Amino acid sequence: MGLATVLAQLAAVVVALHLLALATVVGRDGLAGAPGRVRANLRRVAPTLGLLVVVLAVNGVVRDVGVEISWLIGVNVTGAIHALEGGLVARLQSVAAPPLTAFFSAVYVFGYAFLVTFPVVAYLACEDDRPIRTLLVAYAINYALGLVCYVLFISYGPRNVTPEAVRSLLYTNWPQAQLLTGRVNRNTNVFPSLHTSLSVTVALVARRYRDIFPRWYPAAVALAASIAVSTMYLGIHWATDVVGGAALAAVAVAVGVTAAEAAAESGPALGDSPTGVVDRVAAWIRR
Amino acid sequence: MRRLRAASGWESVSPVSIGIATLPADADPYALRVAQSVAGWFRAAGLRVTVTPVAPEELYRRVLIRNDFDAFVGRLPARLREPDGLYALLHSRFGSEPGWQNPFGYANFDVDERLTEARAATGETRSEALAAVQHGVARTQPFSLVAFPDAVRAVRGDRFAGWTRRDYRSPLGYLALDASPERTDRAADAGAIDEPTETAAVTADEPSTLRVVVTDRRPTENLNPLAAEFRWSGVLTGLLYDRLGHETASGRVEPWLADGWEFERVDGRPRARVRLRDDLAWHDDEPVTAADVAFTYALLSDVTLGRTDEAAETATESEAAVAAPRFRGRSSLVADAEALDRLTVEIRFVDCTAEVATRALAVPVVPEHVWRGRTGSASVGGVDFGAASEALVTNNVPPVGSGPFAFGRNVPGDRLVLERDDDHFLADAAPADLPGDVDGLPPYERVDVTVVGADETAVSMVASGDADVTGTAVGAETIPRIGRSEPVDLVVGRSASPYVVGYNARRPPLTNPRFRNTLGHLLDRRALVDDVFEGYAWPAASPLAGTDLVPPDLRFEDGHPVTPFLGSDGTVDAAAARETFREAGYEYDDGTLVERD
Repeated sequence: MGLATVLAQLAAVVVALHLLALATVVGRDGLAGAPGRVRANLRRVAPTLGLLVVVLAVNGVVRDVGVEISWLIGVNVTGAIHALEGGLVARLQSVAAPPLTAFFSAVYVFGYAFLVTFPVVAYLACEDDRPIRTLLVAYAINYALGLVCYVLFISYGPRNVTPEAVRSLLYTNWPQAQLLTGRVNRNTNVFPSLHTSLSVTVALVARRYRDIFPRWYPAAVALAASIAVSTMYLGIHWATDVVGGAALAAVAVAVGVTAAEAAAESGPALGDSPTGVVDRVAAWIRR
Repeated sequence: MRRLRAASGWESVSPVSIGIATLPADADPYALRVAQSVAGWFRAAGLRVTVTPVAPEELYRRVLIRNDFDAFVGRLPARLREPDGLYALLHSRFGSEPGWQNPFGYANFDVDERLTEARAATGETRSEALAAVQHGVARTQPFSLVAFPDAVRAVRGDRFAGWTRRDYRSPLGYLALDASPERTDRAADAGAIDEPTETAAVTADEPSTLRVVVTDRRPTENLNPLAAEFRWSGVLTGLLYDRLGHETASGRVEPWLADGWEFERVDGRPRARVRLRDDLAWHDDEPVTAADVAFTYALLSDVTLGRTDEAAETATESEAAVAAPRFRGRSSLVADAEALDRLTVEIRFVDCTAEVATRALAVPVVPEHVWRGRTGSASVGGVDFGAASEALVTNNVPPVGSGPFAFGRNVPGDRLVLERDDDHFLADAAPADLPGDVDGLPPYERVDVTVVGADETAVSMVASGDADVTGTAVGAETIPRIGRSEPVDLVVGRSASPYVVGYNARRPPLTNPRFRNTLGHLLDRRALVDDVFEGYAWPAASPLAGTDLVPPDLRFEDGHPVTPFLGSDGTVDAAAARETFREAGYEYDDGTLVERD
């Protein structure tokens, strides 16, 4: 029941959710001829994908070093956030009940993993390349700005600040989950909430391109909202982090949309030459 | 103009604010909750208080090394079973030294004198001196003692036996573990049937590895026995580095790396001849010699070795001496140490009794051939950091020790693997010569330390069979989880390491003993024990509580005998608290405690 088990559970659940969503959201018609479109889209967004991979790789390397730098130069904003919002999270937790805890724990781990991966698959399979480009650029912006914030701000979440009022519901309910989240997060990095920002990003992109997958939009919004609430309900994030995350998502999607539209306007002969500001940056990085 | 001069002497008042630094809930199950409660009581008395959670390494760096704090909530290290531990903790001569020696900057003539007296006295005189120290500390509150917690651990009795009544803050506790009798029976049965089964049993689940799960990542990153901010109990570095003698549960120091020692008095001071065991070797196969021991004492008293070369074989009196921040109480007992021959070292002590002097033998011995090169000043990217010697800054990975376990590998923040050294003297030492219950090398060949982020996770790792013991003590709130799990046993032992609210007596108004005394009155220790520790702790008034050295009038019975709580049932009587502060010379402005600048 170590990390491997948790990962296996996660993979199984996410794959199952993907299959379910492919059947209901994309549908039989949408899947017809999908492999060809996926290949075409992959070619066209390859530079953007490269950018995201670079950002993720930098993130992976810098995250640990970032914590050290953070203690040297960062500002400990824990007290300020606590003073700003007081017992908001504690009040939210006052409705805690085992079914709710189970639901939000599942949403926080499985729902989130599904929510951020499914649109990548779905948008790759559609005709238009703007949704996938928007999404990938927005993800990259989220991670890049998130990392900057994590270095600049040291902040502990409510479960680590007011343990007398806020319980660490996720780990109390499902201790092994910490093996997974401990890989991804450090407990000093709570502002902003990347769980929230990436979820809201998906929801915003789903809203913009709701004509393509009409069923995905309400599902994405509901799931994103649940995830945002779950981060607070489980005692992991402050409301401030969630607001910060949503703001980050808005910025990231705005940049993503601009990049995607710029790429689309630069002509139908997409893909042969990297276009758009971000793609040019990506190309420069790759050079 | 005269009016201006006369008026300028009268300066305005400013509110008293105190920042309490403490560990986040992930790192310590109780500290933050104690800090929040204490902050609430201080606020009720009109102080401005902030509580800031800080990661362990950073907290200890601030408190112990930089002295950059107002107050902290944390634990004192468990050196207090032996009363001489108080000397380093409270003597004002250590006020400016980094480490666990007087991090409070506490200076009290009377306490200093009594501490010095207790080192050299015996019998009645010593008890009286120690009683005076305890009274002085209880009254002037360099730290407000909260409680001695129970060390709660989840262990698996089906793989190893002998978990109970062990001290897991000492390597001896781990070294004395036995293979579980159930398991030995099973292995023996399997072997009796035929050979293939035996080999299968060995590969399948023979307990060749002791799997320890901890919530403290520091030992996976740093194994420097001298780095105060990275060490807590020092149990892992204790497996890597042998000491001349080991402190046992009774508080006595018994020979370990040493074969034995003899004390004599020369010029009224103790002198010891310590003989090492034969054929000792470092993990890099160099021999362990008396010169290493002499070097260790020189290094502990001055990590720069006077910043000189071969001439500084022993401790120098140089002004620039920087004592190692750990083992300071012990190293301060040693005047100098000299190797007489390959296996004999002569240690001359300062004025103290032989009993106290023996404590100085319980320090880890480090290899001269590795550490001599670390006495220069530490540099980062070519920039020298003057006072910090490389010996204090190095991560010391991989470490070269002489202990029963050698370094295997580490993944910083994640894992540490130690491998048994089968050439260690434990392999063929007679059990009668060994301290504690240690009777030879332990049955496991490897110690595998895994880091997790939370107590619940640590317990669930033990419950699911992925670990044998929670190496760091877990919070009382995990006890139901331990109880629910069939193969997991609960081990509860009384810890000698109390929770305290430590004050920085270098900063006004905490410089004022009367002010600290009043803060001491604002702690409802009984309520903390009931609410925060869920009853798994003992409130105390003396850091020596639990020993027979506590005078009767310092026993914590219905309340704190010296600074009883100003209030009841966890609620501060604000009027009484304010009155006490006013009596101490402080004023209130609109309900806020103020001081004149």
